[in-house]
Amino acid sequence: MMLDLVPLLFFLPLLSFPVVLFFGRWLPLKGAGLTIAVMAGCFAWSLALLAAALLGAVELPYSFSISWFSFDIYDVALGVYLDGLTVTMLCVVTLVSLLVQIYSLGYMQGDSRFSRYYSYMTLFTASMLGLVLADNMLVLFACWELVGLCSYLLIGFWFEKPEAAQASRKAFITTKLGDLGFAIGLYVIFTHTGTFSIPSLQEMARAGFFAPGVALWSSLLLFCGAMGKSAQVPLFVWLPDAMEGPTPVSALIHAATMVAAGVFMVAKLFFLFEINPTALIVVGFIGAATAFLAALMGLVPEDIKRVLAYSTVSQLGYMMAGLAVGGPQVGSFHLVTHAMFKALLFLGAGSVIHAMHTNDIWKMGALSVRMPITFVTFAIGVLALSGIFPLSGFYSKDEILHAALNSGNWPVTILLFSTSALTAFYMTRVLVLVFLGSARDRERYGHSHESPASMTAPLVILAALSVVMGFLMHGEHVWGKLVPHKLEHEHGHVPAILVALLSSVVALSGMAAAFGVYFYRWIDAAKVKERFDVIWLFLYDRMGFDRFWLAWVKLSYKLADALAWLDYHALDQGLVDGQGSLTRQLSRASEWIDRYIIDNLVDLWGWISLWAGSRVRVTVSGFVQSYLLYVILGISLIFAARMYF
Amino acid sequence: MSFETLVTSSLPILSLITFLPLIGALVILIVDQTKVKTIQKIGLAFSGSALLVSAIALIYFDPSRQFQFVEDYAWIPALSVRYLMGADGLSMPFVVLTTLLTFVSLIASLSIENRVKEYWFWFLLLETGMLGVFESLDFFLFYVFWEITLVPMYFLIGVWGGPKKEYAATKFFLYTLFGSVFMLLSIIGLYFASTPHTLNMLELTAQRNELLKMGMTFQVLVFLGFYLAFAIKVPLFPFHTWLPLAHVEAPTAVSVILAGVLLKMGGYGLMRVNLPMFPEATKLFIFPLVVISFINIVYGALCALAQKDMKRMVAYSSVNHMGYVGLGLASLTATGFNGAVFQMVNHGIITGSLFLLVGVIYDRAHTRDIDAFGGLGAKTPMFAGIMTLACMASLGLPGLAGFVSEFLCFLGAFGPWKIWTGLSVAGILVTAGFFLRMIQKVFLGPLNEKWAGLTDMNAREYAAVLPLAALTVILGVYPRWGLDLMNDTLTALAAFVKSGV
Repeated sequence: MMLDLVPLLFFLPLLSFPVVLFFGRWLPLKGAGLTIAVMAGCFAWSLALLAAALLGAVELPYSFSISWFSFDIYDVALGVYLDGLTVTMLCVVTLVSLLVQIYSLGYMQGDSRFSRYYSYMTLFTASMLGLVLADNMLVLFACWELVGLCSYLLIGFWFEKPEAAQASRKAFITTKLGDLGFAIGLYVIFTHTGTFSIPSLQEMARAGFFAPGVALWSSLLLFCGAMGKSAQVPLFVWLPDAMEGPTPVSALIHAATMVAAGVFMVAKLFFLFEINPTALIVVGFIGAATAFLAALMGLVPEDIKRVLAYSTVSQLGYMMAGLAVGGPQVGSFHLVTHAMFKALLFLGAGSVIHAMHTNDIWKMGALSVRMPITFVTFAIGVLALSGIFPLSGFYSKDEILHAALNSGNWPVTILLFSTSALTAFYMTRVLVLVFLGSARDRERYGHSHESPASMTAPLVILAALSVVMGFLMHGEHVWGKLVPHKLEHEHGHVPAILVALLSSVVALSGMAAAFGVYFYRWIDAAKVKERFDVIWLFLYDRMGFDRFWLAWVKLSYKLADALAWLDYHALDQGLVDGQGSLTRQLSRASEWIDRYIIDNLVDLWGWISLWAGSRVRVTVSGFVQSYLLYVILGISLIFAARMYF
Repeated sequence: MSFETLVTSSLPILSLITFLPLIGALVILIVDQTKVKTIQKIGLAFSGSALLVSAIALIYFDPSRQFQFVEDYAWIPALSVRYLMGADGLSMPFVVLTTLLTFVSLIASLSIENRVKEYWFWFLLLETGMLGVFESLDFFLFYVFWEITLVPMYFLIGVWGGPKKEYAATKFFLYTLFGSVFMLLSIIGLYFASTPHTLNMLELTAQRNELLKMGMTFQVLVFLGFYLAFAIKVPLFPFHTWLPLAHVEAPTAVSVILAGVLLKMGGYGLMRVNLPMFPEATKLFIFPLVVISFINIVYGALCALAQKDMKRMVAYSSVNHMGYVGLGLASLTATGFNGAVFQMVNHGIITGSLFLLVGVIYDRAHTRDIDAFGGLGAKTPMFAGIMTLACMASLGLPGLAGFVSEFLCFLGAFGPWKIWTGLSVAGILVTAGFFLRMIQKVFLGPLNEKWAGLTDMNAREYAAVLPLAALTVILGVYPRWGLDLMNDTLTALAAFVKSGV
């Protein structure tokens, strides 16, 4: 019963989408009431599922499907596949969605397209839940694209702003680029196996059906999709720009759920990735590089949301690297904890932006006095993200670092530890500049105020979860039970306590350094910036990645213009119409020949016969004598001829 | 007698569908030309009846059986020409697509005020021609219907079109005629090659091994004769240049039919004639077809990206989408065939609505320049919403009609043609690029004050577009309705084609 109706988790939010879109204005809270109620129901249900799974009341994995459509001899199913990871993700998605929707009541109040906002939100949540539930690669891909659409619509929600319109298109196209790889990966898998069903594929992988080459190709192609969606280097460029959307959207889509879909996909299809070790090495390096490079880029922005965006990119890289070195259990635990504290940080930032009407951290300062709830919860988020004991980030990061050390993959390990320090540094920088010190913009500061309860309540809940979640869920009995799969390394026996100490030291030193620079001002940040402005600009410029892709875009426009020119001038006007005019010239020539030669020839004959007639006419005189003469002449001619021949 | 037997065996149901519009056209001829309303009512009534009868036929159509609703009469015994009509899972989708799109286009044509009588006459005659092409199974009959479509189209573009209408109409006419002349030669060739002489398409298909005895040169020439006619219609590179011009000049409703139905006659012909009838030539030309499809996809998309005129852009997007169809055909697999036919149907629905929507804005603004607008999303939200839906469907968003068919085309082609399919996928990205660029330039950003007085869609426009938008969603969410109709026939066809090459 509880399991049979699981598809409703997808269908209820989906059905509320058109209802709110078209009839929202007549509904309570302009439709928000409906979507929030639906989401609350979905969350309660997911939580019950999680509890049941942990208590062993339901048997997992559970799968159930109906036929969607068929072609040739194949059948594509529409179904759900529930395992521990899926159930946890259901809770994460519904919880964050619920809290963000409640938060948005205050944040989006008075917006002229309020109902539409909620309808998009509920469509997004439905698609995301569909993605999580799907038991089938094609359905997963379909939902994957749909969340991309919602992301597009919500980034560009305030489409009157040209930057928002531009950012939405950039996000769509960039992720689509990755999705091309995803699509080809699906073709490879289907051509090879004849099925999209994830449980069947899992069986096949277990039975050794996949040759290492096929496994490598298909997993790397699928990973292209994950690189786009989860903003890995070099496809991360869209995520910082996506911050043009409303802040609650950033919290839900671009921090907690959609961007984690790539990580989730790799975790779900890990059986495919682990067949060929090369695939995991690639995933590990790209993940670690993403984590490190994005953390560097996160050091410089003055826009609070951009810092959080780079931090998200960096943490997504962390998760990917965690998957590669430790398996689903390690990588996806960070996904869950990160969803909580990153959503918290974004909502906190939204609260600040709501109060200050600016994103610029240099115009803030000392807000801890004005906004105590936001301050405390944000600080908890910062500590959790930095990985300070005993907050949730500590547990999940610790697992990843431990696995990295055990794997003996030194480049990845070093990159991850450095990222840890950088993360603590840039997050503390934001915390200090926004909430501590002195108010740098007195006027804005004067108007600032704590946000309404609808906004602070979600902050408090998320902060509480960020504190306790790691402690409650880590370990063999909870998380290990939900996601049992973990990579074991033969040689790695680094003691856990050592890793914990090391990571804490690294994180604390990062925080301390940031306090030194931005709070105590032992070093003047402005001077450092001036001194190393080349590096600063390089980081600010996203290390040239943006310009790299832009060059490709420009190239394609040039190519398009050239081809269109060719198509019109060479092919159409040149060849086709050229052929046409050639035919016309030919017909003109033949017309001339016809008129002046052929026709004149005809006339010539007439003329000749006329002329001949006029000559011959003289013989027809009408006199009988002359006719008699002709007869005699003729007869004598015949006789003469007879005599000679 | 039950209604079912009436439909399936007693009534000449296909002739009824085909000639109802013709009767309507003839009735319109005797109506006084000033009685515009009467003419429109008659036209809608007859086209609507054709739609209704085709819907009934669809209900009683059994996808698991071969040709149904067959009508077979001797027509010109001396040439063994027969009046032979029938529908299978390949033709049925197109019959319904034709009746539906024509009806919708006629609703959109209610705004035509100039020479109404002639317009409606030609439009209904066109419908008869198109329906006949998809139903006739005798080459003589097929050719007659094929050529019938040409004349109304010529006048519809040439009289009611845009500034360069005469040029466009003449070019369309000559280009298509050029192709069909070679088709006629091929048909005559087939007639003399068969023993006993026949023009029956089914018999000729069954005799394909006898035809092989005529030698490779014969195979190739006859194949190319048909190919030329069909490739021009599809259109496949490099025979596509008449299309953007014809679309830009044609009135809205005619563009809908042109993209929605006329192009499909080419794809239908390739599947009905070229692939099953000439196995050796198919083997020879299948690789070129893959390359041409790739060019259609990528080149078409890039050309669309460069366009400033919305209609030209949509026209080039058709070139791009027909490339997917080509790829599906060239796969010679049931998967690819399913994708190709379904893609043709979906393209008809989606591109039909795109042309209707471009017409909506052109009627108001008298320009189609993408750069001339800006920020209309706030001013005309319904129009913006439906346009975005159609664009998303066209770029293959899941949940909308284009996704499954496009996916099946690629999936089918990937098995035999890995590299080319992999390269063709790039077209999807460019497609997304030009549609999103148009959406951004027209609907997003600050409102261009010049268009502050623009009104949203009116009732007539809704009546034309909403059925198509609804179908876009329905076929996207539940593709089974489309695929189940054609799958059996196409699986058998693919097996038949495959057994020859």
